[in-house]
Amino acid sequence: MIVEKELEHQFVSKLERHQNIAHKICRLYTHDRESHNDLFQEITIQLWKAYPKFRGEAKFSTWMYRVALNTAITLYRKKKRGIRTQDFDTVHFKIKAEEYDDETEQQLGLMYNAIKELNDIEKALVFLYLEDKNYKEISETLGISEVNARVKMNRIKTKLKSVLNP
Amino acid sequence: MDGLELLKKNWKSQEATLPQVSYDEIYKMIWKRSSSIVKWIFIISICEFLFGVILNVGLADEEYWNSLEQLQIKEITIWAYGINYLITIYFMFRFYMNYRQINSTSSAKRLMKDIIKTRKTVKSYILYVLISLAVVTLSLFYLIAYHHIENTQVADSSAYVFDALDWLKFTGITIIGLGIFLGVIWFFYQLLYGILLKRLKKNYTQLENLDCD
Repeated sequence: MIVEKELEHQFVSKLERHQNIAHKICRLYTHDRESHNDLFQEITIQLWKAYPKFRGEAKFSTWMYRVALNTAITLYRKKKRGIRTQDFDTVHFKIKAEEYDDETEQQLGLMYNAIKELNDIEKALVFLYLEDKNYKEISETLGISEVNARVKMNRIKTKLKSVLNP
Repeated sequence: MDGLELLKKNWKSQEATLPQVSYDEIYKMIWKRSSSIVKWIFIISICEFLFGVILNVGLADEEYWNSLEQLQIKEITIWAYGINYLITIYFMFRFYMNYRQINSTSSAKRLMKDIIKTRKTVKSYILYVLISLAVVTLSLFYLIAYHHIENTQVADSSAYVFDALDWLKFTGITIIGLGIFLGVIWFFYQLLYGILLKRLKKNYTQLENLDCD
């Protein structure tokens, strides 16, 4: 019992520290506050379920990327992608350009929305890319080969290029 | 600059606007398992109910009803079915309400209360099933025996007269048989709901520990 309590405490503190990872994923995969919270809760539960197997082999955050993304992918694969993206404005306010510039912020918003329109796996790939992971880390997290990750990422980049320069 | 690179450069800026969940809230999420356990209790009760209905309807062919008619217990059987369905539906409703309540609970104290309530509901449901089975079986036995004696003409009735010892044997065997039957049913319910109840209890102990901190 004491051991389990200690484990719980350990887990909750770690998750609290790294929760931004999960929130960023939720924001990318959901379209409103409520489903954001639902997904966050589901990720928490899945992480907690998998925690006994974690054993600190990798960094907690690395492991968390994998489990959280898998949860999001599995959960949202089942749903039809008929849901519309959120209003441009809400995204617009979330990602701010370093130097304030109206046009840049608009571009950021467009880009973000375009990424939200990608399929589940592509989204995961772009997410890890934006999180500044290298291809080795991306491939390990998503369980695909490094070559495959590169090829896919290049395809996505081409796709996204046309968003800002139609 | 490439749009994606632009986003990458400014990616971290969104962190300031991300929602933050507190330690306690995360803790609560991992005990929210209760809510899914209670959901399963509700689902199992529905399946069980449907299974019972299908079994009843499937087994009850014309021959079955005719034999009940002959034994003059058709009417009482229909009543028993009806009452049983009503009570079972009532329990299903309670399970559903428990689920809804636990799902929307936000305080640990409230959740603990709800868990106790759910456990009580399940236990009284199992008790109901066992008692109703016992009552129905005993009264059916009695009615069948009663009407059977009434309907059967026996040439030498003295051969069929029960003395006290025979009655004792008959009652003893009936009670033992019924006991075994109910034991099997009880065991089945322990398998069905017992595991879920145990998990709920574990969850409850965790909450209790948390509360002591």
